[in-house]
Amino acid sequence: MLIINCPYCGPREQCEFTNGGEAHVARPSNPEKVSDKEWSEYVFFRSNPKGIYFERWVHSHGCKKWFNAVRDTSTDKVLKVYEIKDEKPSLADLENSNLTTPSGEPEVGSGNFTVRKT
Amino acid sequence: MSAKDNKDSSHIAFHQSVNFTFDGVKYKGFKGDTIASALIRNNIKIIGRSFKYHRPRGIYTCGIEEPNALVQILSEHNEPNTRATVKQIYEGLKIESQNRWPSLENDLSSVNNLLSPLFSAGFYNKTFMKPRGFWKKVYEPLIRKAAGLGKPPKPFKTKSTQLHHHVDIAIVGGGLSGLLAAKSLAKTKLKVLLIEQDSYLGGILKNSNKVSTIENKDNASWIKDIETEIEDSKNIKVLKNTLATTYNYINHLIAIEDLTTGTMPLEGHADQILHKIRADHIILANGHIERLISFRNNDLPGIMLAGSFEKYIQRYGVIPDISPVIFSNNSSSFSLIKKLIDLKCKPQAYVDSRSGDKIESSLLDIIHKENIPLFTNAHVEGCDGKKQVEEISIRDSEGIITKLKSKMLCISGGFNPDVHLFTQSKGVLTWDDQYLTFKPSKSFQNTIVIGSAGGLFQYSKLVNDIDSKLSFLNHEPIVNINFELNESDNYAIEKLWETKHEKKSRWSKSFIDLQNDVTTKDLRQGIREGFDRIEHLKRFTTNSMGTDQGKISSINALGIVSEILNKKVSEVGTTIYRPPYAPLSFASIAGRSTYNFYDPERKTSIHEWHKKNGAVFEDVGQWKRPWYFKSHLEENLDQAVQREAHQVRKYAGVLDGSTLGKIEIKGSDALEFMNLMYTNNFSKMKPMSARYALMLGEDGMIMDDGIISKINDSHFIATTTTGGAAKVLSHMEEFSQTEWPHLNVFMNSITEQFCTFNISGPNTRLIMEKVFEHIKFDNESFPFMTFNNFTYLDTTIRILRASFTGELGYEIYVRPSIALKLWENLFRFGEDEGLIAYGTETMHLLRAEKGYIIVGQDTDGSVTPQDMDLEWMIGKNKKDFIGKRSLTRSDTIRSDRKQLVGIKPIDQKNIIEEGQHIILSSNIKPPVKMLGHITSSYMSPNLGHSFGMAVIKDGKNLIGSRAYVSSSSKVAFEVEIMKPVFIDEKNKRLIS
Repeated sequence: MLIINCPYCGPREQCEFTNGGEAHVARPSNPEKVSDKEWSEYVFFRSNPKGIYFERWVHSHGCKKWFNAVRDTSTDKVLKVYEIKDEKPSLADLENSNLTTPSGEPEVGSGNFTVRKT
Repeated sequence: MSAKDNKDSSHIAFHQSVNFTFDGVKYKGFKGDTIASALIRNNIKIIGRSFKYHRPRGIYTCGIEEPNALVQILSEHNEPNTRATVKQIYEGLKIESQNRWPSLENDLSSVNNLLSPLFSAGFYNKTFMKPRGFWKKVYEPLIRKAAGLGKPPKPFKTKSTQLHHHVDIAIVGGGLSGLLAAKSLAKTKLKVLLIEQDSYLGGILKNSNKVSTIENKDNASWIKDIETEIEDSKNIKVLKNTLATTYNYINHLIAIEDLTTGTMPLEGHADQILHKIRADHIILANGHIERLISFRNNDLPGIMLAGSFEKYIQRYGVIPDISPVIFSNNSSSFSLIKKLIDLKCKPQAYVDSRSGDKIESSLLDIIHKENIPLFTNAHVEGCDGKKQVEEISIRDSEGIITKLKSKMLCISGGFNPDVHLFTQSKGVLTWDDQYLTFKPSKSFQNTIVIGSAGGLFQYSKLVNDIDSKLSFLNHEPIVNINFELNESDNYAIEKLWETKHEKKSRWSKSFIDLQNDVTTKDLRQGIREGFDRIEHLKRFTTNSMGTDQGKISSINALGIVSEILNKKVSEVGTTIYRPPYAPLSFASIAGRSTYNFYDPERKTSIHEWHKKNGAVFEDVGQWKRPWYFKSHLEENLDQAVQREAHQVRKYAGVLDGSTLGKIEIKGSDALEFMNLMYTNNFSKMKPMSARYALMLGEDGMIMDDGIISKINDSHFIATTTTGGAAKVLSHMEEFSQTEWPHLNVFMNSITEQFCTFNISGPNTRLIMEKVFEHIKFDNESFPFMTFNNFTYLDTTIRILRASFTGELGYEIYVRPSIALKLWENLFRFGEDEGLIAYGTETMHLLRAEKGYIIVGQDTDGSVTPQDMDLEWMIGKNKKDFIGKRSLTRSDTIRSDRKQLVGIKPIDQKNIIEEGQHIILSSNIKPPVKMLGHITSSYMSPNLGHSFGMAVIKDGKNLIGSRAYVSSSSKVAFEVEIMKPVFIDEKNKRLIS
């Protein structure tokens, strides 16, 4: 069970939060002007990379506030947590700036294999 | 030869005997004995029958890694698959062996052993396919009976609690390494938790004869002193009888504590504690596990791991056999041989696969001194005997076989660092070519592995290992400790996974996984059939899939596979180790959240009145709602509903609607926000008026509905469905915070702050005028869909004129503290006017007669307002609201969407049922085109016949036409498709 650092309450157990899907998916400001395809992509399509992922969480059993997080989906490590209103951080801002997305299988931490690859 | 007590062991109370029964026979053991050690004391050899072949099996190990000795505990919950090597005996303990009929000695299913060529690897995947009908009637019942290892437990209510720990350091394992780590952390400011699975600390110091003295003390004294040091330090908490089963991310351990070690579980008391531990750093000091060697009939009773044999002597005070034969491929047997000699016993022979020049001189010395027959460069070819070991065949380097008559064979195939928890933590392993095993290499979390768990087998290097790994804590390192050992400090091993068979008989087996009866031949067959990846081979052969997870054999399997494939063992890899490390009961995971505490029971303030007045309740979410009221004891659901529904439309009825969600929305931008959340246009709404509203998802589908009351443009109250209350509030918060944070609006749940009474029927006005003498209820003073606040009994109440039944009605919102009083007043004045209480079933019926939808009943997340004939609820001239754009997608505007209609049977005797399909013709011959289905249906006392609401493709255009519904009696009957309203189409009663 992860520990997530709520920007308002501090580090709390994952079960206090609800995941809110991909972050920075903008709702078209003029829905009446966009095509069916564009609108459907906003409603139904989300990316699903193996690697750095920008997502939303809400502290449902706490302050009930929404915030954003950056998580490496290949290891589940949460790299950064920031407020809903903040700008999307660049990869260079993150702890390990040689990260890419998709990232491929990490050297350690995916739990998909036990023996070190040589 | 037979077993003998070792009264030197300080962990057994030899003066306290304990009586227990095994398979109906009484035996005596001592307090502190496990079932296994007590049975060994009584020379019991056979303890069960194996899973597939029903071969007799004995006790193989002395710990949690036991594959064979699984028994059923009759004197408790009849729990199956209990490890006899772990469960301690108590007075009156009743045990039964498993997987045999009629008895352990004579098991009829041992015929499986004769049929074993049929049961080879993968047979599950290849058999029982034809004839097709046989599966349900023949194969499945037979397999169910034969499958599994024990019998199911009796129904019982066990109690288990959970404890949370937040510590700086958690140490898994209270053995030599763990105690040294704890010693170094004593008297620091760090909060430390030490977890040990046994009832005593000490690990290898108490379980073996390997360490003669430590810091010039004997093992027991040293352990005692350290324990005192730990207690005095006050920053270290010790949990005994506690097994760490799981290592999660992030540094989260699950450990299970057995509170009933050596005692009978007490009724009503917790028998387990599940510990949930969060630690900044976790030190894994959980040691190593010995592994077997595969050879012909290596599963016979009388074969045991050498280290386990030694543990029975040291820890449990019993020598299983005074003259065993010992077979090893490594240097570890010295301590066992020395112990036997010290106890005036003598091994019958020592067989080492290594050549004489590789064997430690200390080992050779003691063998020569004591005249123990020695075989070097030799293997055990196999064992023979009727239901137990009677003869051991030893083959030397020339191929010459020597047969020894013996009843006990101790084997050692080497040691594996116990890496289960380490790999659960997502760390990775590396192969050690010297010790021929996998050991931790790179960790992912704050994990520190010390001692043999990390692949260190040298005592002289242990303190340095611990000090260097804990140096980041910047504390006092441990001063070097001197050991006097009963073995060489340079553990050495030569590769030997399996010895060659002499006999080519089909029934001679060389086992790799004892619990699942997997032989080395199965591994070879699996690879021949193409399953050459270890994860595939595991599933195909079921190797290591038992409750022991192949702890004493899975690495051996990898070694054998690597030889067959001619690959390095590191290339073969291991299968993924999954938690829990040992079986966990569901009761421990559930903790206190069972029975009455499983889910909160939410009740309204009128609950006791409902109970007293004959209510039968149903669960709506976590709420208890009256489903119907019994006017007399024999009245059933159908009778009650007919009576209630008739009474409401004739006189009056009141429903406790307190469970429906209520949300208060306030702020200078509340109006704009509400317009975005719902389909309706609230802008032109007059203050103190109310409107029925729809909430859609962004996909355009109906998500929830309710009544919106507008106090003013900055203040609204919204109701929701009972089940949707939390969802609607979350949905509002999400959009307010993430999409429109610039809007000044706040929302809050007020569901529990008010009780709601829904009173309706022709006599309602009369009743309300009597109860609320000062309020005017006539049409001019109190129009439909308006509300107001009034004083009542020193408090403020709100009355809204609205109803869900289609009769003249009101909703009263009242504070819970006086709700019951008001409810009783309604009846005080209303009873004479025919007022009754009605439940949810009647409410469903009455609203359906009016064609009102229930979200979740007639909708399923895939219907739009247009589908439900509610297009009029979409505000005209609204630029945007959630879901609006989706209403003009190609999918939502297509003509053959399912639309809401009413259904009436032509022959009034026919009953329409929910879920029935609507079809065009009564000729039911596949494939039948289905137009739609019935979403709600009822027998109406007000109409005199059954009716239903349905969704049908292109339904609006089919109104007036006929169709059929398929009934459960398989005879279709004719219906009329009509508008979805059955009573008072012009709503005269509602606005009277």
